[in-house]
Amino acid sequence: MPAEIEDLNCRRASFLLSLACERPLSADEVRALKAHLDECLMCTNFEQQLRFLHDCSKKFRTGT
Amino acid sequence: MPRASATDPRAEIESHRPYLVRYALAQLRDAELAEEAVQEALVAALESIDGFDKRSTLRTWLTSILRFKVIDIQRRIVAERQRLPYDEAGAAAEHEAWLDEMFDETGHWRSPPQAWNDPEAALEQARFWEVFERCLARLPATGGRVFFKREVLGEDTPVICRDEGITDSNCWVILHRARILLRMCLEQHWFGTEASDAR
Repeated sequence: MPAEIEDLNCRRASFLLSLACERPLSADEVRALKAHLDECLMCTNFEQQLRFLHDCSKKFRTGT
Repeated sequence: MPRASATDPRAEIESHRPYLVRYALAQLRDAELAEEAVQEALVAALESIDGFDKRSTLRTWLTSILRFKVIDIQRRIVAERQRLPYDEAGAAAEHEAWLDEMFDETGHWRSPPQAWNDPEAALEQARFWEVFERCLARLPATGGRVFFKREVLGEDTPVICRDEGITDSNCWVILHRARILLRMCLEQHWFGTEASDAR
């Protein structure tokens, strides 16, 4: 596993979370990300908020 | 989202103007042309409001009219000059560095994402959509445009990057940056306030 994704910091982990909206992550990236999320509540919050932003934007498109 | 009385179609159509301007701006990258497209679309919509059959939402219907106006203007632009100028070409190189403002030197969040209280409930609040629109408007020009195309319109990332004339990796950083900024703005103006708990 490349060193740069072996031990993720929040900067790198959050980028991968965002990147996952654009392209499928590699097995190494997924593994490293999971390990980080198990320990990091802030990035777990960010992951949920990304999902919310996605749903919210879709709804914004059609209006109510 | 702001709603006007059903008896006044003009006001109801008008309430969608900020969204429509944002849509036109994402396609045309020019405030004046975007205004022109929206103005023409709103006039056309008022003239044919009887044709709105309510099978879609009013916003979706207005957007479909606007789409044609945008295409007209794009054709005209292509005829007038070969290519639209890219407004922030020089900014691309600084995008990685911009993330320095969001994370400290060890890569930790400077403004850590908090848990949001019942985000789904926010979607039902008209006031929330006003905040969402304001936060979208505050994004940097490129970030706002790319985010709008990707998340609101659901366009494919490679297509967006190509149209913007930027590399995939710059595109990813721009999107990441826009999402963090939007998240911070919503947390500051909605989820982090007592108001969101009281609703």
